[in-house]
Amino acid sequence: MSGQSSTAEAVDRSPGDDPRPATYYHLARAVLYREYLIFVRYPANAIGGIVISLFFFGLLFYGGRMIAGQALTDSIEGIIVGYFLWTLAVGAYSSISNDIGSEVQWGTLERHIMTPFGFAPVALLKGVAKVVRTFLTSALILALMLVLTDTTLQLPIVTIAVVAVLAICSVLGLGFAAGGISVLYKRIGSWLNLLQFGFILLISAPAFELGWTRFLPLAEGSSMLQRAMIEGTRLWEFPLFDLAVLVGVAVGYLLLGYAIFELATRRARRLGVLGDY
Amino acid sequence: MTMQEPPQPRPDHQTAAESPTETDESALVVDGLSKQFGSGDAAVTAVDDVSFSVGRGSVVGLLGPNGAGKTTTIKSVLGMVLPDSGSVRVRGMDIYEHPRKVYPHVDAMLEGARNDYWRLTVRENLRYFATIKGVDPDSVADRHDRLLDQLDLAEKADEPVRKLSRGMKQKVSLASVLATDAEVVFLDEPTLGLDVESSLTLRRELRRIVAERDLTVILSSHDMDVIEDVCDRVIIMSEGSVIADDSVERLLRQPEASRFRVTSPDIDERLRHVIDERFEVIEMSVTDGRTQVEVATDTDGFYDLVDLLQADDVTLESVTTPDPDLEDVFLGLTGGEHREMPER
Repeated sequence: MSGQSSTAEAVDRSPGDDPRPATYYHLARAVLYREYLIFVRYPANAIGGIVISLFFFGLLFYGGRMIAGQALTDSIEGIIVGYFLWTLAVGAYSSISNDIGSEVQWGTLERHIMTPFGFAPVALLKGVAKVVRTFLTSALILALMLVLTDTTLQLPIVTIAVVAVLAICSVLGLGFAAGGISVLYKRIGSWLNLLQFGFILLISAPAFELGWTRFLPLAEGSSMLQRAMIEGTRLWEFPLFDLAVLVGVAVGYLLLGYAIFELATRRARRLGVLGDY
Repeated sequence: MTMQEPPQPRPDHQTAAESPTETDESALVVDGLSKQFGSGDAAVTAVDDVSFSVGRGSVVGLLGPNGAGKTTTIKSVLGMVLPDSGSVRVRGMDIYEHPRKVYPHVDAMLEGARNDYWRLTVRENLRYFATIKGVDPDSVADRHDRLLDQLDLAEKADEPVRKLSRGMKQKVSLASVLATDAEVVFLDEPTLGLDVESSLTLRRELRRIVAERDLTVILSSHDMDVIEDVCDRVIIMSEGSVIADDSVERLLRQPEASRFRVTSPDIDERLRHVIDERFEVIEMSVTDGRTQVEVATDTDGFYDLVDLLQADDVTLESVTTPDPDLEDVFLGLTGGEHREMPER
């Protein structure tokens, strides 16, 4: 067949067979469109997540009211905001860590690593897609929680979006780290999913008023989201230091998580276990 | 096991011991690739000083029993396994030093993996993976249509992959690799799980696509028919090393491939036992008092067999030399190794 190579130069290229390089725009479109397709084509996962989230919230609200009575009703706004952030965090974390685990299982992780764009932009875009998707479902959960409890919250959309996105960036970092660990050690997804319950502590951290806890993932974001949604504080009204901590924690944990993912995949390549499942 | 008459290297490939020569026509040059897993007493050498080069537009088969190092070699070449030593150059670029420059030019269909998204349709997969490999999918839409036609997937183009049969899924996996603009493609067991007809279609279309696009293909398969049918050249690996590297035609002329079949009514039980002990017997049967023995041996070995039979006054009814196939060569070179070691 080697002799056939000379025929290639004679092949006419049609407009639809004239490969042009893809740009980051094409990459973003491909990754986001795939997430969109999965979301609309398989809504059962999203609906299931919403139903389970509401079920647990109902349990928390009605169960808590039976036990704590007025005390719970007085703090319901804080609980709703915290629960909203928790659903966002869990959605972002589990989708990114589970996604990496699934990609390993499907043999598609290697194909994403063998990309001329580099894996980082692909992973980042996947993260963005997960955050957008999680925002949609969590917004619905928030609305239903407000109706269910007959509660009113301030909804400065821009402030909520910015604070919440920055808050869950740190969680995306944790998701990358967990994904990296599962690339290396496989089938430990269930253990890593336990971390989701740790998010409750992180979201409640501001209540403990310990200065250093604000540097943990989610904590500063939780505090700022409470102020935005309960007191109506706008983004530009927050102290600069608070905003700096929020951004620093978001970027720091995201980079740290990605670095752990890189180290884990590099070790997996050295051990020859990348893609094994 | 060493070859008795090493084939003469051609410009685009070498025997195991030589350093590969890189020319303008080289699509892939692998030089001194070694990989060991584990350490101390538990260390296993998966790939041991593997070198070869592949010319543009050629289809090279990678053969070897399980544990021979094929998959580790392929994954090392792709950068999915980091080797302890050695280099891999694709179109003159080192894959470990410049992975992002090399990756548009290489792609792979790895064994035992889906390689694509089952929740997306066939066409969506082609577009997605073309983009991931750095190609604007709109610019290759016609190519995708043609690919779907060639692989009999056109009717299923808008079906989610999960709804397709196993054979179809295998074709989608191949199509998603060919949907990119990669010039060097690794196909690990591309016909695994396909029925005979699908396998034949895939082989035929693969040959056509290779010719159309001047593709360089490195194909690993346990199916010798696929290798013999599709490949220009075969690299045989055993215990992590390359033990043969030549064209299919030349390998079929190797002494390791030679077979002799003798038939005689005078070979008794004792003599059959002696033959079985002294020669590599491929087949021995007794029908109506006639013994037919097929041995894998070179000409000298055949004369030894004749001497042995003559010493017992055996009359030979017939002596034939069956046409060897690639499997005979493979078994001859690897010493008939069984597939016991797990592939890494």
